[in-house]
Amino acid sequence: MTALLRVAFLNLLRARRRNALAGGTMALGTAALVLGSGLADGISGQLTRNLVATQTGHVQVAARPLDWVPQNNPFDAYGQDVMPGGEALADRLRRDATGLGVVDATPVLYGRGSASASSRSALVGIVGVRPERETALFAQHVPQAGRALPADDPLATYVAAPIARKLGLEVGDTVSFVIQTEGGAFNSIDAVVCGIFRKAAPWHDNFFYLNLETAQALFDAAGGATQVKLTLRADSTSAAHAAARGLLPLIADEVAPEGTRLAVEPYDRAGRFSFAIVQANQVALLVVSSFLFVAAGVGIVNSMLMSVHERTREIGTLRALGLRRAAVAWLFVLEGFALGVCAAVVGVAAGGAVVLWYAAHGIPMNTMTLAWMAGGDVLYPRLEAASVGRAVLLIVGLSTLAAVYPALQAARLLPREALQQP
Amino acid sequence: MTPTFALCALLAATPDATEILRRADTAILNEQAIYTLRMTVVRPGKADRLVEMKGWRMGDLRGLVRYTAPAKERGTAYLRNGDSTYLFLPAAEKVVRVGPKQNFGGGDFSNGDIFRLSLVSDYVPTLVGEEALDGQRAYKLELKAKDRKVAYDRVTYWVRADGTFFPLRAEYYTLSGRKLKWLTVRDVKKLGRRERPVTMVMENALEPGATTTLVFLTIEDDPKLDERMFTPAALERGE
Repeated sequence: MTALLRVAFLNLLRARRRNALAGGTMALGTAALVLGSGLADGISGQLTRNLVATQTGHVQVAARPLDWVPQNNPFDAYGQDVMPGGEALADRLRRDATGLGVVDATPVLYGRGSASASSRSALVGIVGVRPERETALFAQHVPQAGRALPADDPLATYVAAPIARKLGLEVGDTVSFVIQTEGGAFNSIDAVVCGIFRKAAPWHDNFFYLNLETAQALFDAAGGATQVKLTLRADSTSAAHAAARGLLPLIADEVAPEGTRLAVEPYDRAGRFSFAIVQANQVALLVVSSFLFVAAGVGIVNSMLMSVHERTREIGTLRALGLRRAAVAWLFVLEGFALGVCAAVVGVAAGGAVVLWYAAHGIPMNTMTLAWMAGGDVLYPRLEAASVGRAVLLIVGLSTLAAVYPALQAARLLPREALQQP
Repeated sequence: MTPTFALCALLAATPDATEILRRADTAILNEQAIYTLRMTVVRPGKADRLVEMKGWRMGDLRGLVRYTAPAKERGTAYLRNGDSTYLFLPAAEKVVRVGPKQNFGGGDFSNGDIFRLSLVSDYVPTLVGEEALDGQRAYKLELKAKDRKVAYDRVTYWVRADGTFFPLRAEYYTLSGRKLKWLTVRDVKKLGRRERPVTMVMENALEPGATTTLVFLTIEDDPKLDERMFTPAALERGE
């Protein structure tokens, strides 16, 4: 078999132009697949990291209305109803859920309202957090001016760059928030901008962060939270689902606000919007790669059939010298395999180089639609071993399979007839 | 007349805070009314926005307002029925539920300000004194919200003390005690069967220079109204 494999590789050099064309097509397909996977992995990574760090944690507990229907937007992930005991629940889960792999549980209070500064105002998202427990959040929302939200300044607010620009806010400026509490009363506070964070996912363009206690005072929700965000030791969906199942008994005695129920949501369920984008990308990649592979497969079959036709006398000679049918078939199958391996090496090298270059420099997402798709204004593709391995397996497998039919054609030739061919 | 007797006579003549508020609630619109009004929204640096509308009021729980001008907004309508407020957008041919505290027609009035004209049901009034305001003697009332579901936690309210009980000014405060906006009521004219103030100007404390003015153009007092016109279905049908 080793000898046959060596012959198969050497045979690729015999019809160099044809093999280069067939192999080139496959290499191009492999490069496209590696590039496509890199983009999809980049998008998936950005959306997931952003979701887990800034919104849901790995698992979240939130009060959902009994008739709640997700609106398929990024704000679904935030709880919309205040759990009056949310802060205490977070403290309890941090203490009691360590056995489920929970390393932190922190309360978050999300609401909407208007922010005004120097006669400009806008509808904004307001999020109350405990800054000392939000390292991951502030690693995503990094300051471009000033500093991230300090835990010791109840009047500080940390604002997204786009809304800061819209309201003409700079570090040190005062902004007034006006909101309506869940009950319906208006409330307002003033806060001083401590920092402005760089534009991240577009749905955070008009966000302000406040200290939890300040947000609770603003929303008239002392001790309350719209969700409890749990961070797990293991960073995977399976770990999140397992922890979510384990958390259910721990919150069974918690009283949900009227008309709601407490839901424990792993991040892929809480962030349906992000995962819908990830799935859409995966489907698009699957469709595109299917077309690529069908085209490449047809090319390989054609190339191998031509090879069989051109080498009919050679096959007859080999058969007359005692080479068995199976060995002839194996030779052609291995030639397909060899072609696939060469194409995969070239394709992975080319596609990988492009992915790595863009991973270092980023791809600007210039339109709003692209920014929403990518979860940010810049997409950083990722070269993941699993995706590269999948591309290599696919191309080599396809190439080998495509060689089976021509190989069987070659194996069927009778030595006498083959030798009589012109 | 001794000073003590004079004071007693004054106290006897001054209605209590709840009565002042109840009278002020219906000083502009009767319990049932049909009216037309013009709304002017002024925003610094932007062109003024003018909207004309026709409204129907049936008690404090039912109200309907339909835009009649400009042409591109004609047909837009707000409906208040009990605790629910609806908006009908003719372009979308759809009725959507909106919050009673959302602003009305893009101005500084909230839907609640327009439809829920009765303050007496939401606030506990205290008469804190009489003072001169814009050359008028006025009762000064402090209104405290009955619960935390009421839009403004506190309202300072001036009502004319000349027996007309026309509102003069209202200042609205948030839970944190900030003055959020203030209303000036002026221009007493005869509209319908009686005289009443016809201009209401709302100013926003957070947007200096931003004002919304409502001017009543016509008022028909105590017409017969069918409560079936105050339903989302009727709103959509344009009845």
